[in-house]
Amino acid sequence: MTGRLLSALLMGFVAIYLAAPLVVVIGGSFSAPETGGLLISYVEFPPQKLTLDWYRAITAATYRGLGLAILLGLCAALGACLLGVPAALGLVRGRIPGRAVVEAIFRAPLQIPAVVTGIAFLQFYYVVADLTEFDLSGTFAGLLIAHIFIATPFVVGSTGAILLRFDGRLEEAALTLGASRWRTFHRVTLPVILPGVMTGAVYAFLVSFVDVPVSLFLSRPGLVPYPVELFDSMQQEFSPAILASATIVILLSAAMLFAVHRIVGLDALLKSQS
Amino acid sequence: MNAPWHRLLLPPLVVTLVLLLGTQAVFLHASFYRDMGFGVQAETWSLANYARMLGDPFYGGVLWNSLSLSGAAAAWVTLLGFPTAYVLARAQSRWALAMLALILLSAFITIAIKIYGLMIIFAGDGVLNRTLLLLGLVERPVTLIGTRFGVVVGLSYFSFGFAVMLLYSVVRTIPRSLEEAAAAHGAGRLRTFRRVVLPLALPGLLTVFLTVFNLCMGAFTSASLLGAGRVLTLPVLIERSMLAEIRYGLAGALAALLMAVVIAVNLLSVLRLRRSRA
Repeated sequence: MTGRLLSALLMGFVAIYLAAPLVVVIGGSFSAPETGGLLISYVEFPPQKLTLDWYRAITAATYRGLGLAILLGLCAALGACLLGVPAALGLVRGRIPGRAVVEAIFRAPLQIPAVVTGIAFLQFYYVVADLTEFDLSGTFAGLLIAHIFIATPFVVGSTGAILLRFDGRLEEAALTLGASRWRTFHRVTLPVILPGVMTGAVYAFLVSFVDVPVSLFLSRPGLVPYPVELFDSMQQEFSPAILASATIVILLSAAMLFAVHRIVGLDALLKSQS
Repeated sequence: MNAPWHRLLLPPLVVTLVLLLGTQAVFLHASFYRDMGFGVQAETWSLANYARMLGDPFYGGVLWNSLSLSGAAAAWVTLLGFPTAYVLARAQSRWALAMLALILLSAFITIAIKIYGLMIIFAGDGVLNRTLLLLGLVERPVTLIGTRFGVVVGLSYFSFGFAVMLLYSVVRTIPRSLEEAAAAHGAGRLRTFRRVVLPLALPGLLTVFLTVFNLCMGAFTSASLLGAGRVLTLPVLIERSMLAEIRYGLAGALAALLMAVVIAVNLLSVLRLRRSRA
């Protein structure tokens, strides 16, 4: 029975360990400090007096940053699927010489520390601008290309994992029976790989949506995704309005996770990268 | 009857290769040119940036910070994450689903928000520190900002969810029948975990440790916010050289050093996997 007790204790500890920072942020966003000071130590937890003032204090720039982060995440997920799904199909189904090397190339962006990706893309854009007079640094397209780069391996991984388990003879059967290639893809392949593509897309959205170190180098004033804005503001003065916007993000993430749970199941997220 | 699947591979492969090789080549190239100030670099190539990096003990200290803090965080995250992943993989209850949801939610929230929460929890006159002082457990308030302890805590929050996902797949490689056999012979849950599950999982645990270590080596946001300029790690120094000092050459050389460590750790874990399979 000690085993059962220990596992309950462990789960309790992990739950508090993970939830505490989020609970404190949410609680702090509703609290009205008596002192009115803007120092972090004045955030009261548990809150003494409830207020919605900090939600009204969220600036337009923060909302723009949030909108930009969501848009970037959606576009990055779409781009990662457009690159990642054909890549996974080719890798698993095709006869490719040096498959291990090709796999390693598609996995490489995961291995590169994000800061290195950030400075490398910034300098790469400078070089491209020198050569073509087409400056991508500080543009939406520039941010998006880098985000697609870091997000694609997740789609390749999760789609590839499903394809490996799925019998390729089904497709050959469809082709032999006279279905066109497109029809075979549309009616046989796509329904099978769809859960893998969707979990990959969720991951792609998320790596983009939470990213600081890549976007930090590629944004410019007026084009700052929310996580970078949060990071910047944390190094300057403290404002409880940040807690309010962070609470909105926590609730949005929870809502998204719930939607994912209803569509593909939470354990699909856990298993997809194995 | 062969569908031309391999043709699908070409466009994504070309795009990935151009971005991968292009970006890596550009920063490596810059690392061979001395910084002349204001973002201007020397005309002729040299090893000046590397000589400076390897000669100055300051950079050795920063590398040591990165290695030791990442090692500590990866060890803590693996130790806490493995039993968590095990319980999650074996339990069927509603609680397990709620726990899984919390782990994923925490993993999917930008680390800056979690660090905000941690800063409030560990505030000098916050509830936690007042309680600890009252109980006499500490003599001075525990602070996270600007301390090595704080950076380890930040890195562990950054990597925990990812580690649980990896550890979950390690648990799934252990056949349940072995645990059932142990239970049938009278071993309790704890004993089964210690004597059956743990030895079988050990090679997988080491691989996960190395992967999480690599993730922490590259972690920027948590190390920057909690290090607060007093505890410097490689990613933080790279960002500073690039954005604050505009020294592309030095930033490139530091990035090359970081990449070299990450690649070496990767090779180590691949070699380990090969040996354990042989």
